[in-house]
Amino acid sequence: MSARIRPLPGILALGWVIAMAVALLTLPALRIAPNRLVVGTPVYGLEVFGWWVAAILASGALCVGLLVAATTRRRALVALGFLALCAILLALGLGAGAAHRMVGQPPAARASLGAGIWSAAALLSFTMGFAVQASRIAGLGLFVPVLLLAILGTAGHLGAFDSLSLAVEYAARREAVNEAVLQHLGLAGGAVLLGIAGAVLLSLWRRGQGLVAILVGGVQVIPAVALLGALVALVSGLLRLVPSLRDIGLSALGAGPALIGIAAYLLLPLWRGLATALRAPDPASLDAATGLGLTRSQILWRLRLPLGAPILVGALRVAAVQSLGLATLGALIGAGGLGRIVFDGMAQFAPDLILLGAIPIVALSLGAERGLSLAEDAARLRLRA
Amino acid sequence: MTLIKRVRPALGLGLTGLALGAVSLPPVAIRLAEALGEPPRRALDLHRLSELAWQHLQLAGTGFILVALAGIAFGILATRDFAAAARPAIDSIAAGAQAVPPVVVVALALPVLGFGGPPTLLALVAYGVMPVLRGTVGGIQAVSPDALDAARAVGLTKAQILTRVELPLAWPVILEALRTALVLAVATAAVGALAGASTLGTPIIAGLQNQNTVPMLQGAAATAALAFLGDAALILVAGMLRR
Repeated sequence: MSARIRPLPGILALGWVIAMAVALLTLPALRIAPNRLVVGTPVYGLEVFGWWVAAILASGALCVGLLVAATTRRRALVALGFLALCAILLALGLGAGAAHRMVGQPPAARASLGAGIWSAAALLSFTMGFAVQASRIAGLGLFVPVLLLAILGTAGHLGAFDSLSLAVEYAARREAVNEAVLQHLGLAGGAVLLGIAGAVLLSLWRRGQGLVAILVGGVQVIPAVALLGALVALVSGLLRLVPSLRDIGLSALGAGPALIGIAAYLLLPLWRGLATALRAPDPASLDAATGLGLTRSQILWRLRLPLGAPILVGALRVAAVQSLGLATLGALIGAGGLGRIVFDGMAQFAPDLILLGAIPIVALSLGAERGLSLAEDAARLRLRA
Repeated sequence: MTLIKRVRPALGLGLTGLALGAVSLPPVAIRLAEALGEPPRRALDLHRLSELAWQHLQLAGTGFILVALAGIAFGILATRDFAAAARPAIDSIAAGAQAVPPVVVVALALPVLGFGGPPTLLALVAYGVMPVLRGTVGGIQAVSPDALDAARAVGLTKAQILTRVELPLAWPVILEALRTALVLAVATAAVGALAGASTLGTPIIAGLQNQNTVPMLQGAAATAALAFLGDAALILVAGMLRR
C-alpha cells in the first residue's frame, strides 16, 4: 500500500473554518438558567474561553490545512493529534467557564451546553473522522474515541466538569444511569442471541425458505411501537392460558416481550447473512471437499463457516446496531434500559436528562458499529492471506 | 414485464394491511381482547380511530414526501462530478446517523421544538433523508460506465443522461430506499406520540400506561395496517408510473 492519501478538498476546509468560527463566536457556548427546566441566557464563546477561542480556531484551521495538503500519513496523524487536543481544550475550557459562572449562583442554577458547542463538537468529530480515514490505520477509528473518552472521563472524575448541567444530572442519578446502561446492554445482547437462535432455526427449515423470507421481511414493516404493544397483549393472554409460564419468569410487562419483539426485527439481517454466508464457497471447492470425502458437517465447519465469516460478522454488526437502538423502546413496556432515562427526561421536559440517556445510546451504537466493522475487516483480511 | 407482475408484491402487503385494519375496528378488537382473556374495556370508537389515523397519515405522508424530494435531490447532487470529493463525507455522516434511533431523534427534538407534531416531523425528515440519499447515490453509482459511455457517444447532454439513463437504471435501488423511508416515517410518527403528537401511537402509549389492552391493540393494528398499506400503495404507484 502506498503512503499517499486522499486530501481534504480545499472548499470543504474553507467551509469548515467558517462554520467553526460561526459556531464558536456567534452561537451560545453555554446557557445559564435559574433551574433545569427553563431555557437559560446565552453566554458566547469569547466570554467562556476568552482569547483561547482564537487559539482553538487557529489550531483547528491549521489541522484542516494539514488535511488539505495531506499527502503523507504523518501529516494526517499530526492533524488528528491537534484536533484531539482542540477537543480536550474545548471541553476543559467549558468546564472551567461554567464553574466560573456558577460561583454565587443558587444551587438549582444550571449551566447547560449551547448550540455553538454542539456544532463545534460535530465539526471536530467530522474532521477527526476524516483524519482517521486519511491515516489508513485500522483500529484508529475505535482507539481515538476511546482514548478521548478516557481522558475526558478522568478529567470529569477529577471534577473538571462538575458545574456543567449534564454532570450535575449524572451525579444526581449515577446509580440509575449505570444500571440502565447494563440493562440496555443485557436487553440488546439478549435480543441478538435470541435472534441468532431464531435465524439458525429458520434456515434449517429448507422447504419453507420462501415463506420465511416473506415473514421476516413483513416484520420489518411493522412499526416497533405497535409490535411491542401487541406483544404485551399477546403475552398476557398466553399467561392467562398457561399460568405456569409465570414460574419460568415470563411476564406481560418487562424484559420477556421486549426481547422477543427486538429479536423479531433482527431475524431479517441475521437470517439473510446466514444464508449468504453458507453460500460463500464456490461450487468447485465444495465439489473438491466432497471428493476428498469430507462429511457435510466437516464441510460446514471447515469450509462454509470460515469462508462466510466476514458476511456473518457483517450481519451481526447490522443486527447489533439495530438491537441497541430498538432496546430504547423496551422502556415503554417496562424492560428498563437507557430508554427509561430518555422517557423520564421527556416527561419532565428536562433536556439534560434526555441527553443523559441519549448520549450513551448513541455511543454504544457507534462503538458496536466501529468494533464489529473492524472485526469484519479483520475476517476479510484473514481470508485473503 | 407486465403491470400485473410488477405490482403483484403489493397484493400480499395490501391484504395484510386490510386484515390488520379490520383487527383495529372496535367490535373485532373487543372480541380479540376477550379471546385473550382481557376484561372487556371500552374501545376507541370509529370516529376517534379514523381521526387518529388521518393525523398519522398526514404527519407520515408530509414527512415522507419531504424525505423523498430532499433525499433524491441531494442524492443527485452528490453524484455530480463537482461533489465527488464530498462523497466519503456523506457516507460517514449517513453511517453516523444510523447509530441514532428514531425515538432518540424525537426525544432530542423535543426541548428544541416543543410538544406536538413539529418535533416529530423534524425527526422524521432528519432521519429518513439519509437512507434515501444513500440509496440514490448507490443506485446512480451502480450504473455501468458502458451505459454512460454509450449515452455520451450518441450525444446526450448531461441532463438527458441523468433523466434518461442514470435515474431509470438506478430506480429499483431508489424505490427500495423509498420503501424503507416510508416504513420509517410511519414508525416515527407512531413514536411521536411520546412527544405529544396525536397519532395512532397515542392509544398504544396510553394503553401501555394504564393497562388498557383494547385501545392498545387497536392502535398497534392500525399503525401496522397503515405501514403495510403505504408500502403496497408505493409499489402500486411505482409500478404504474413505469410503463
